[in-house]
Amino acid sequence: MIRSRVLTMLSLVCLFALLLAGLSGCGQATQTPQAQPSPTSPQVGQPTSSSVVAQPTATQPSPPPTGEEQAPKSVVIVIPEDPPSFNAILSDTGYDAMVMELTMLGLTDIDPQGNIFPELAAELPTVENGGVVVDEEAGTMEVTWKLRQDVQWQDGTPVTADDVVFTWDAIADPETGTWMQGVDYIGGVVKVDDYTFVISYTGIYPGYLTQFGGEQLVIWPAHYCDAEQGFTAWDCARAPMSDGPFTLQEWVVGDHMIFVRNPNYYQPGNPVIDQVIVRIVPDATVRKTMLLQGDADVDVWTTEPVVFDLKDKPNVQVSISPYPRWVLRLFFNLAANGTVDPVASPHPILSDLRVRQAIRMAIDVDTISTQIFYGYGTPVWTELFRPPYACDVPRPKYDPQAAAALLESAGWIDQDGDGVRECHGCLNAKEGTPMEMELITYAEFGEPMTLSQQLIAEMLGKIGIKFQLTVVEGSVLWATAEEGGIEQLGNFDVDLWDDGYSGTDPTDFLWELYSDEAAEPDFGWNIGRWINDDFNGLLAQAYTLDEALRKDLFCQMAAILDEQVPSVLMFSVINADAHSTRVEGIQSTTFDMVTWNAEDWDVK
Amino acid sequence: MTAYLARRLLQTVALLFLLSIVLFALVNLAPGGPLAGHGQSRHVRPERAAVLKRQFGLDKPLPIQYLVWLAGNDWMKVDADGDGITDSYGTRKGILRGDFGFSFRTRQPALNEIGLRLPNTILLMGVTMLVAIVVAIPIGILSALRQYSFYDIAATTFSFAGQAIPEFWLGLILILIFYVWLKNPFTGEPLLPPGGMYTLGAGFSLVDRIKHLILPVATGALAWIAWYSRFLRSSMLDVIHQDYLRTARAKGLSERTVIYRHALRNALIPLVTVLALDLPYLIGGAVFVETIFSWPGMGRLYYQSALQRDYPVLLAILMIGAAAIILSNLLADLLYAYMDPRIRYD
Repeated sequence: MIRSRVLTMLSLVCLFALLLAGLSGCGQATQTPQAQPSPTSPQVGQPTSSSVVAQPTATQPSPPPTGEEQAPKSVVIVIPEDPPSFNAILSDTGYDAMVMELTMLGLTDIDPQGNIFPELAAELPTVENGGVVVDEEAGTMEVTWKLRQDVQWQDGTPVTADDVVFTWDAIADPETGTWMQGVDYIGGVVKVDDYTFVISYTGIYPGYLTQFGGEQLVIWPAHYCDAEQGFTAWDCARAPMSDGPFTLQEWVVGDHMIFVRNPNYYQPGNPVIDQVIVRIVPDATVRKTMLLQGDADVDVWTTEPVVFDLKDKPNVQVSISPYPRWVLRLFFNLAANGTVDPVASPHPILSDLRVRQAIRMAIDVDTISTQIFYGYGTPVWTELFRPPYACDVPRPKYDPQAAAALLESAGWIDQDGDGVRECHGCLNAKEGTPMEMELITYAEFGEPMTLSQQLIAEMLGKIGIKFQLTVVEGSVLWATAEEGGIEQLGNFDVDLWDDGYSGTDPTDFLWELYSDEAAEPDFGWNIGRWINDDFNGLLAQAYTLDEALRKDLFCQMAAILDEQVPSVLMFSVINADAHSTRVEGIQSTTFDMVTWNAEDWDVK
Repeated sequence: MTAYLARRLLQTVALLFLLSIVLFALVNLAPGGPLAGHGQSRHVRPERAAVLKRQFGLDKPLPIQYLVWLAGNDWMKVDADGDGITDSYGTRKGILRGDFGFSFRTRQPALNEIGLRLPNTILLMGVTMLVAIVVAIPIGILSALRQYSFYDIAATTFSFAGQAIPEFWLGLILILIFYVWLKNPFTGEPLLPPGGMYTLGAGFSLVDRIKHLILPVATGALAWIAWYSRFLRSSMLDVIHQDYLRTARAKGLSERTVIYRHALRNALIPLVTVLALDLPYLIGGAVFVETIFSWPGMGRLYYQSALQRDYPVLLAILMIGAAAIILSNLLADLLYAYMDPRIRYD
């Protein structure tokens, strides 16, 4: 009796497992992907209860893409995780921007050289062509935009000024818990006629050209998105209505997305290829292998080790952006660890400019770049390093002897011979305080960042500065002050991370990192609490449309940053996308995701 | 028995309730917060952050947050629009009524996020467990019967290796062998796919599904095979030295009958218990296997939610996992009593 029960139970367990396996197999079977591109799905953007996201109905049937019997021209992109949505402004993953670029258009976009070009806009409004009118007295401006009249949503509805006003209203809704650059400067958006609207600014906002475009924002369809659901949560960001080169046909969450050619796309003859398949492949080694085996065509944001491995491989190319963006940097906390006021509680060690200069001199940037980043790092030593605002700042010299001498003269001397300097007549520390600090970085970047952290600590250890190394998750490092964010609360000495500004206008970025206003916890990321009145004055003047003046102002700011060393910029990491040689037209760019020109891609 | 079951179920409810408090507190008190990644490149203004917090329900004291999470807020007046006046009823139903809130990351209901992945995980882990059992049982039996033979030593070595080899390494090696090196002699295509659940555009076929299962199942099953076969070997060794087997042999039963009818069935009892305890893996998934083989399962969802502090999804997975563990423990106890009449729960 016992025995038969054992067997019964075993077989029951097995049956149960089989049953579940079978069931889930059947569940998947219903989502047979279509190889032929055709916008057919009947449901309109209901929130998804199945894994397939519905796409909006297209009223016009699509003509056959190219020749009759040809196999569809298809490009497979591999990325590690699903985009959270198609609304890139809501998160910083980049993958949302990537799929957004495939399906939707902004007023303008930026090419890899940093030139702004119109998308939905018929032309770029400037002071010269009368599109921008500045009220010098009031210090305000009005920008009149004209839209192209030949752009339609995928259901055939034209894209009009109503959509722009709708998009602005959704962003401006106080319930929208997100923020876009320069949003505080906009007074309102008013429709003039179907294809004309005016944006009035309460100040001068130099970044106006890319504010409703670039890689962050697109125009959303007023007749399709549900304003009641709100800009950050509406369903049309998961099942988008396309006015771009491709339409979303299928999204099996965690597995893949299929995009097909939008037959209504306004550029004649574009897109050239019939479909783009986005596959979710979390592991970088597997993505590389699939690329080499021909099962993937584009790997997004390829990292240095993979770029190195792909060198000399016959069927794979790596497209590297003409300009870098992400610069590895050290940020110094000028307020004592755990405080945010550099005047009341100056940092015992780092508040002395000579110490910061010595640290900059003692780091061998080229060694880190070649040993850890396979030589793909480009040395960068100023925030203003790329056009249109590239400033001529001399590169700091690597000179550990001079660094040591500077520390000696600053009153940091190793008298007890333990290899770590102590304060003997230094500026802000108590006599005898050892030169020991915490060097913190975040974990998600991965091994290259933590190795760099170790190497930097080793280099600085040689001149008698001792570091404790800490690695934390990004969500801990960058959390708000209220959530206990380490940076916002100033709970560190030196912080290592990578950052850089998007687009072509550094004004907001400089405000964010170096202005006195941004030093207030939770208001910005001046986490080193570096306060410089000259800099703040120059920055305030930079909100102007006078380009020559702006160039001059930015270079003056660059000179101050170089002199005062609130941070040490080292080198930029690679911005590259690997792709198979059968795909033509791929151009990596720091101003956007690789799909920025997907309508021009072709396959051999 | 019924009384025992009722008592255990009551205990389960109480335990789940306690666990819900502990899990909720742990998740919320962990350093970091969900607002870090919201807004373009880390910019969240305080006034915007306040809106987000209100929308996410993070603006209230933790005990209130817990109450809303547990029982919803549609029975109490809340300040929905941030004007400081509690003038409307909330919309949350609470987990007691099956509402786990919405994901901070995708703004989709947390249960939806889980629902999209759960069937995939059950498929992968179900097949993995099945394969592990089917392979481990003969290995375990033979090891025990031929203790210290060459076969036993080989199986023991294999077991240690199986438990020692990290899954992510094994997975990559298998991909290298079966995807990069070995080709299908007829089509010239790779022998097995490097990941995913099915071939895109090919439609559903059982063969295709099985091809996609082979590598992840092999990777995931190896450690389980090692563990189950060791387990069965030792419980088998315990049994074959028992008196009743000597009696069975003395009665003149054939060795085959002695082993398979008398020894094995008794040796399997503890294994069934262990199996029942492993059932939560069916819904928990496996992070490494899913990551290497691009399998859209629960393990990856859990990992991602944890990294991005997606509290509602994280808590939903943890609670469902906790319930599964408690229930499988109960199941194991019941199975044990059912299979071994010497055990009574009265």
